[in-house]
Parts: sequence; C-alpha cells; structure tokens
Amino acid sequence: MLEANELMVFYENMLALNNISIQCSENSIVGVFGANSAGKSTLMYALSGIMLDIRKKEEMAGGERITISGDIRFHDQDITSLKPSLRAKSGIILCPERRRIFKESTVLENLKIGGFLATKAQAKDTLEYILHVFPALKRLKSRIGGFLSGGEQQMLAIGRALMAQPKLLLLDEPLLGLSPLMQATLIKATKAIQKEKKISIIVSEQYARPVFPIVDYAYILENGAAVMEGTRQELMDNPDVKSAYFGV
Amino acid sequence: MDIAQARKERIDRGIKVRSDGLYALMSLKELSYLTLPRFLLIAGMLSLPFLMPGMYWQRVISIVCIYSLLALSFDFLAHYVGLVCLGGAFFIGMGGYIAGILNTYFGLPPVLTIPLATIIGGALSTFLLLPCLPLKGVYFAIVTLMYPLFMARIIEAFDIFGGTDGIIGIDSFSNHWVEQYVVIGVVLGFVFGLRRLVNMDIGLIFTAIMDNDQAVKASGINITLYRALAVFIASSMGCLGGACITHIYMWSGISQFALDFSILPIAATVIGGAGTLVGPVLGCLILVPVSELLRDFGTLRIVFYAVILVAFILFKSEGIMEFVQRKYEQFERWTKI
Repeated sequence: MLEANELMVFYENMLALNNISIQCSENSIVGVFGANSAGKSTLMYALSGIMLDIRKKEEMAGGERITISGDIRFHDQDITSLKPSLRAKSGIILCPERRRIFKESTVLENLKIGGFLATKAQAKDTLEYILHVFPALKRLKSRIGGFLSGGEQQMLAIGRALMAQPKLLLLDEPLLGLSPLMQATLIKATKAIQKEKKISIIVSEQYARPVFPIVDYAYILENGAAVMEGTRQELMDNPDVKSAYFGV
Repeated sequence: MDIAQARKERIDRGIKVRSDGLYALMSLKELSYLTLPRFLLIAGMLSLPFLMPGMYWQRVISIVCIYSLLALSFDFLAHYVGLVCLGGAFFIGMGGYIAGILNTYFGLPPVLTIPLATIIGGALSTFLLLPCLPLKGVYFAIVTLMYPLFMARIIEAFDIFGGTDGIIGIDSFSNHWVEQYVVIGVVLGFVFGLRRLVNMDIGLIFTAIMDNDQAVKASGINITLYRALAVFIASSMGCLGGACITHIYMWSGISQFALDFSILPIAATVIGGAGTLVGPVLGCLILVPVSELLRDFGTLRIVFYAVILVAFILFKSEGIMEFVQRKYEQFERWTKI
C-alpha cells in the first residue's frame, strides 16, 4: 500500500533520516520504535508530506535548508513531491505528535474541521463511529478542546484524523504522557479502528511494550537509520530488542 | 517540489572557526577577520558627513540616524524582549516635546535638554505603558499605536504647548558637524551597547521572557519589572531621537506624533535583518535616502515602501544582514547524497 525507498532527510548538514525504506501493506499495523531524536517524527512528516511544507517555510525565512531524497509510493503512485493537502485527499492522514487539537474550539467543532474532505453522509457515519469507539467523548461534545485531559485530547486527535476518511493513518506518538490505563484504552481502540474500518495504521512510539501486541510488522530506528525490522514474532525473539525496548 | 539528488552543504570557513578561538589573538589575519566588519561600519558611519554633497544630504544623514535609533529600539523590543512596539511616533513625540519645553520654557541649553528629555521621556513613556506590561499578546502593540494619536489630539484640543503651531524658537545645535556627529555617535553607541546588553545576564532574562514568561515567573523573576526596564531602554532611545529632531528642526509640533515614525523603522528592520541589531541601521541607510529621492512623488512614496516591504518578506525574509553574515562566515559546495 505504502512504500518508501531510500528516504533521506537532511536538516542543513544534519542527517535526520538515513536511507530508510519502509513498507506498509493493506490492513496492517506497522510500528516504528526508537528513542528521542531517532527520526520518528521526521519519518512521519516525510510520509505525510508536511516536510515539504516545513522545507518551504524554512527556505522563505532563510533558515535551515532541508533536503529530501528517495521516493514514496502510495497505491503504486509516486507521491514523493505531492503536496500534503493532496496526500490527505488521497488518504494519508497524519495524527500529529502532541495532538495539536484546535484548543479554542469545542470537541464537535474539532471533529467537523477534520471532516472537511468527507461527504455529509460519511461525516455523519464517522462521527457516530468515533463516539462508539471513544464513548468518553460523548459527554464532552460541547466542551472546549483545550480544557480536555491529555487522554481525551488524544482520543479527539485520533477522531479528527478519522473524520478525514483515511486509508492510511499515521499516528505519531499517540501515547505521549498518558497513564498506563489510558494507554491500554487507546491501543485497544487503535486495533478496533484498524479492524472495523479496514485501514492501515503506522504508529510510532518510544516505548514499544504497550504498542507491540497490536503491530504486525515493526521497524526500530536509531539515529535516523532503521537498525532492525521484522514481524512481531521475529522481533520478540530477538534478545537485543528484548533488552533494549522491553526492559527484560 | 523536486526531490534532490545532490545537496548544497554549508560549511563554516576555516578562518571563522579559527578566529572563534584564542588563535584570533595571535594572528593578524584572524584578528582582522573579526574586526573588519565592525571597523567598516564605524568608519563608514563616521565618514558619511564628509561624503554627502551639500547640506541637504547631510541633513538626510541625521534623519537616517534618528530612524536608526527607532529601528534599533523596535528590533530590540521585538526580537529580544518579545514586545511588538508600534510606538516610534509616541517616543519621538514625547522626547521632542520635552526637549522643546525644557529649552523654551526653562531656558536649558541642548547639552542638558537632550539627556534630560531622554531620561524623563523614557520614564514617562514606561509609566504610561506600564498597565499593559504584565499582559501577553497584542495589547502592547495596540496601546503603543494609540498613544501618539491620543497625545496629538490632546495637544490640539487643549491648545497647549503651542497647539497646532507647535513650539517655535528652539535652539539648534551649534553647527551641523556637531549635529551629525552627535547622532552618529549615539547610533553607534547604541548598536554596540545593545549587542553587548543582549549577551549579558539581563539580556538572557529578556530573551527568556520572550520564550516562556510563565517559566521565568516560576524561576522567581518579576517579569513586569524586567519588561519595564526593557521598555525604558527602548523608549529612551526613541525619546533621544525625538529630542535631537527637535533641535535639528528648531521646532516641535504634533507632526512628531506622525505614524511615519512608527512604520518606517519596522520596514527598515525587515529589510536589514530582524534580530541582528545592525540590520535595522542598514535598512534605514537604504530606506530613508530612497524615500528622499522619491519626494517628488508625494504620498506615493508609501506605496513604494509597501512594495519593498512585501517583496522582502516574500523573497528574502531573512533580511540583508543575515544573508551577508552567512556569506561571510560560511561557504557552500555541492555534495552527492
């Protein structure tokens, strides 16, 4: 479904992504694990096209020069130089790190903005579906987004991404700063969404343990390079992974 | 949106790296690498009065320096303290009127009126702006934009300080060389003084307040006090410029509250390079003479400014100074990925 080959991103002279090739097949959950500054968010930005936007802004302000090389294919189409808005139209939706919900708007308004690309019927169905997956949002509908707790905001952010009718959902650190209980709820919901909506999900996370049970395939990033990859079972059996990412 | 096969590397020049260290003190070449740009600025500014053909253009140089002071104060407040100040006209008017009043009503000579107007004007402006200092956001900009209008209308309505005619018969500088070297010296002093200030501890606090005022408060620092101090520094600079303008034209009137004084410094800062504290002076050196050359076109000058400003924001929003500095310190070469 999505295929990125030899992706490289430079921030000025710093290499943020070093020759990464990743694949995501239909109806699967792919995990991307790595420590801070391993390149997870850069990878997400590169896949969703936001990187092109950042590059443009930096170029205009005379800031860091960002260089992108490699190619990204989605449904056998080359999308390497496609604008982020067009990528979203074709079905790649990013749910950004630190949620980035619209703080001044209510929960319902947040979801409506997310549904800009959807038809009326789709938006209505998806809204019902979101309230079904995240029942906690039901009683918060008219609450201002900025006043929600971290977990509720994350639910809202995922909901907003779903409203855009994704075929491939990119979840960037969805568990950031959440309690173990909330983490478990979100992971369960993520799995349910993947199954019921029949979409693919790429999820990045620092700490692999809570996410690991639901991924089909995973990549481990270190200093911008993919040092290891494999199916869940392959990685589980690897002693290095065990000690580094599960603390066993 | 092409995808690169090769990229341009930016690498610091060897001489830059060497002159960052102790080596700079041991070799004439590295020493001159460091001092040459500063020397060029100082020597260039000091020689300007000699290079100008005739009195008219020498007067323009004085005006350039006064706008430079305003642009410097804008740059300092906006990029090192985080306050967007549209009050150039307010500071010029305050300084101008105080100098005029001190000179005509109390008979003080310019040697005293200029420093007094600087201090009193700075203090008064800071006091009037104090209510909006604890706030974050756009309030400071709005209030500083409103005060000059407010002041001008009050003077007009109550017919005080000469009303619409302004205060006339103010002493001038003893001759035009004194006038020019006073303003040039003041500008150079503030350029290097502010560059030093922002690298000291107090400058660190200013920058921290800009980045995150709550974290600074949590460190036990009274942010209103420090903001007031920064506003005092900046408004004093503006008032100093206003006092000089009053003595240059031997007149102070409500046109000193004109919005030109608020807008042109901002344009100059954008063109010269925001946050560099030298860029604004360069911007004024370009914009003010250009605006003099365009005097024949009347108010269409403003259109010309606007076009320059928009063009710079679109195509070179880093400004001249950042661009030149990068070329001076780094070189580029192509590398294959």
